[in-house]
Amino acid sequence: MRRAFLLNRLLTYTALVFAALLILFPLYWMATTSLKIPRDILRTPSLWPHTFTWSNYRNLIEQRDFLTAIRNSLLVAAMVTLISVAISSLAAYSMARYRTRFRGVFGRLILFAYLTPTSLLFIPLSIIMAQLQLGDSLVGLILVYLTFSLPLSTWLLQSYFRSVPRELEEQGTIDGLTRLGALLRIVLPLSAPGLAAVSIFTFTGAWNELLLALVLITSAGKRTAPLALNYLITTDTLPYGPLMAGAVLSSVPLILLFFLAQRFMVQGMTAGSVKG
Amino acid sequence: MSRVSPLTRRRMLGASAGVAALAVGGRGSALAAPAIRKGSTLTYWGGLIFSDKANKTLTDAINKWGAQNGVHTEVVMVNQNDTVQKVSAAIASGTMPDALDVGLDLLIVLSRQRVFLPLDDLYASIGKKHGGWLAPVEKASLMNGSRFGIPFGISGNMLVRRNDVLSPAGFPNPPATWVDLVAQAQKVVKPPFFPIGLCLGNCGDGNTQINVLQSYGGRIADDSGKHATIKSDATRTYLIWVKDAYDKKLFPPGVTAWDGAGDNNAYAAGTIAFAANTGSIGIAARNDDPDLYKGTAYSSLPAGPLGVISPMDPQLRAIPKSSKNPEAAKALFEYLTQPEYTQAYYADAIYGPVLQSEMELSVFNGKDPILAGLLDLVKKGTPPGYPDAYNAAYADVCSNFLIPKMIQRVVVDRWDFDRAMDEAQRQTQATYNKYA
Amino acid sequence: MSVTAHRAVVSPATRPRFNATAQHALFAYGLVLPTVLLLLGLVGYPFFYAIFIAFTDRVVGNAGHWVGLANFRYLVNSPDFWASVWNTITIVVASDAAKLAIGLSLALLVNQRLRGRGFFRSILMLPWAMPAFVVFLVWRVIYQPIGGGLNLLLTDTGLYSGYIDWLGEPSTALPAVIVATIWRGFPFWFISILAALQTIPGEQYEAARVDGANAWQRFRAVTFPGIRQVVIITTLLSSIWTANSFENVWLLTQGGPADSTMVFPVLAYFGMQTMQLGQAAAVSVAMLPVLAILVFAATAMAQRGVED
Repeated sequence: MRRAFLLNRLLTYTALVFAALLILFPLYWMATTSLKIPRDILRTPSLWPHTFTWSNYRNLIEQRDFLTAIRNSLLVAAMVTLISVAISSLAAYSMARYRTRFRGVFGRLILFAYLTPTSLLFIPLSIIMAQLQLGDSLVGLILVYLTFSLPLSTWLLQSYFRSVPRELEEQGTIDGLTRLGALLRIVLPLSAPGLAAVSIFTFTGAWNELLLALVLITSAGKRTAPLALNYLITTDTLPYGPLMAGAVLSSVPLILLFFLAQRFMVQGMTAGSVKG
Repeated sequence: MSRVSPLTRRRMLGASAGVAALAVGGRGSALAAPAIRKGSTLTYWGGLIFSDKANKTLTDAINKWGAQNGVHTEVVMVNQNDTVQKVSAAIASGTMPDALDVGLDLLIVLSRQRVFLPLDDLYASIGKKHGGWLAPVEKASLMNGSRFGIPFGISGNMLVRRNDVLSPAGFPNPPATWVDLVAQAQKVVKPPFFPIGLCLGNCGDGNTQINVLQSYGGRIADDSGKHATIKSDATRTYLIWVKDAYDKKLFPPGVTAWDGAGDNNAYAAGTIAFAANTGSIGIAARNDDPDLYKGTAYSSLPAGPLGVISPMDPQLRAIPKSSKNPEAAKALFEYLTQPEYTQAYYADAIYGPVLQSEMELSVFNGKDPILAGLLDLVKKGTPPGYPDAYNAAYADVCSNFLIPKMIQRVVVDRWDFDRAMDEAQRQTQATYNKYA
Repeated sequence: MSVTAHRAVVSPATRPRFNATAQHALFAYGLVLPTVLLLLGLVGYPFFYAIFIAFTDRVVGNAGHWVGLANFRYLVNSPDFWASVWNTITIVVASDAAKLAIGLSLALLVNQRLRGRGFFRSILMLPWAMPAFVVFLVWRVIYQPIGGGLNLLLTDTGLYSGYIDWLGEPSTALPAVIVATIWRGFPFWFISILAALQTIPGEQYEAARVDGANAWQRFRAVTFPGIRQVVIITTLLSSIWTANSFENVWLLTQGGPADSTMVFPVLAYFGMQTMQLGQAAAVSVAMLPVLAILVFAATAMAQRGVED
């Protein structure tokens, strides 16, 4: 028994380490490039920098106001995530628990949100934003990002909510909770893994988005991180050093988020909860 | 822009406007004294280019002009890769700026839709003041019967070459013809050094091959500008040239998937000897790799049997019809042609002159090899699209990279010439039919 | 009652019903209202706008006229359109299959009580830690024939020396794009499936174990049904996103060489660059029927296997 367990563990770790290496290789290149001087990056490509320099980072932070861009991204992504999780929890709960007549139709329709590519959507969206006086504003961006995160969040949360046993909610209502209270106190905590997943998706999606930010944001001070990075690339010049430095900087909040959120992804929160 | 309270600003502007009025008046202005409304706003979208210094020069100059004339200026630099998206969205949503930098293709396509104000008077008056516009600029800036943009710089491809590799190999002078180029390349090829860094992929640089094709006598369309004429013996001769060079392994691997930065990166990596480039390669070398910069020389593109086809690509300033402050914009455009500004701007940007008087600027005196190359381009270059008519259909063929695709069919898919030319011909004709 | 799978034990008769009484119905509709309004305005309008202009010759700055199927006829006659059909389908199917396999295996692996579990999970999400365009620029450099990471690795390990032109040769261009797409996209599958795995109550596994099921049987009887709905939705969404994905092809090969990686989003982009909105829209609308069928099929499958 013990041998089989050890073997299983060995294989598991091997597989995970292998996967980690495959993932880390491009990222390793990114990180080392951010520390190289421009001449080294192209002229003498190597797996380890010949000369270490912080100049790429300094260039970004001091001359290009990159930290403001990170701050803007943080603001936008956080707001989108909070609002999206709140609204989609409500909608998902309705879809999961209520047999309403239009549930199927509604479920399908919200997925149609993804069928039109952003390469086409950006024009009507900018028209709408201009009419709402939200052009060139982070608020407008938040609104637009919400429309892309809601369908996904709603569908996924709906599946996760379904796995929470109804009996628990019934017990809750017997104990005096309203439906909303049942949602807040029972369903949400038990769907923590699902909520963590949806938060990761929403935050990351909003953080990394470029095209809509490019079209809707014009002032330099309102740029998000991807937009600020995009401005490093002019017609035919790709400054890899600052670009990779920016990518590394902008990935830090996301990595923190991943690490924090995955702690909520714990097995069997519903285990043993139904008694008797 | 500083955070000055509105009241203080108005007082400041009032004072400086008075001084400025005296200064302008004293210059014996050719200005028709457009009525610039004090306290009005002017939003300007500048075209972001590689040189940070040039971008800053433009921004500072506009703000300085604004301060002098009592106009609140808002300058935003727009990445040229994104101009199409931003402009499309802005036109649709009615949020176009009061003035902007725009490239020739975009201006041609949009002026068909009457998006911009005609600027013939301003064009004429600026020309008069500076000894006239240069001939190719005259030709290129006339579209759909009017002049919708004021040119401010010429961009174009030069042949950038590794003089420090070619001279010792016995080639101190640039190749005169494309055949010479291949001969020189053959002498210096040594993997991983693959000399001919001419992009054959789907990108702007790939469309330079159209010019090579044209120098061999090939044409995209006939003189009526309506019928595709890609399939021809001249094109066949050209295809023979490119396939021969490719098969001799003179092109670096990966050249069929290069993007706009492909040649820049390969040159900076020291793995190619020739590239067709607007000057950004030189500037990057100047900043990052002094040895490479010293070893680089610039010349015009080599000639084909028909001569040198070296298109000049003007950059222009335009005023959307929806602009709320066209008079101020016109005055600004005029201001930006003054020598003290153009001297500073040309020194850092990678553009050639557009006005006769600008050719005399000290920056073009030959000390800077890149700028000397650009001056040469302006003197000897050809109008955009020449000998084809540079119309919207031609721009469409370029945007869809039909010629690079034909080349890729020949060198990578190994199609025979007729089959590749047939496909290109069909698609080009279909494109021209769209605009008929 | 014993600790057996509670789903099976709770019979329909004893299950209280959530009737759609008037009050409940109102509440139900009220919960979805914000979502509906937002989506109608910001999604519905652009969606129908895009469909409408596909039938016009609209260009930027000019509303154009109705031209019926002219845009579509032009598309059907261009070789890049058919190349796009083939390539888009290939990319979507291949990357979906790979991402499912990878996402599922990894999720199963890290769902166990391992030491360093959090560390591994965070690493496995890293391909998402930067904007798409950065990812594909990095992959472009990796695929570079001279000095690129992949060829460097092959040469240094002695496996192959030479300049393999991953992106410039039609035979390797599409697979190269697919690999980069998989690298970028598998975290989505990994996280969704992991979360789904964790909402399966532990008792079900216990019960199955007690009943003598081995690992494979446990997977089929407990794991698979538990994650089924999430897998279906993930497949649907990932397919749609991959079909609409622009940066992966544009930054690696720009649709070349010779249309070997041409896909719909790049074709639409070409249309946009010449400001022909009608044509660009037609490209996107051409994809719609297939994607819409996918949506219907997937949602039907997802709704079906769920008891209510």
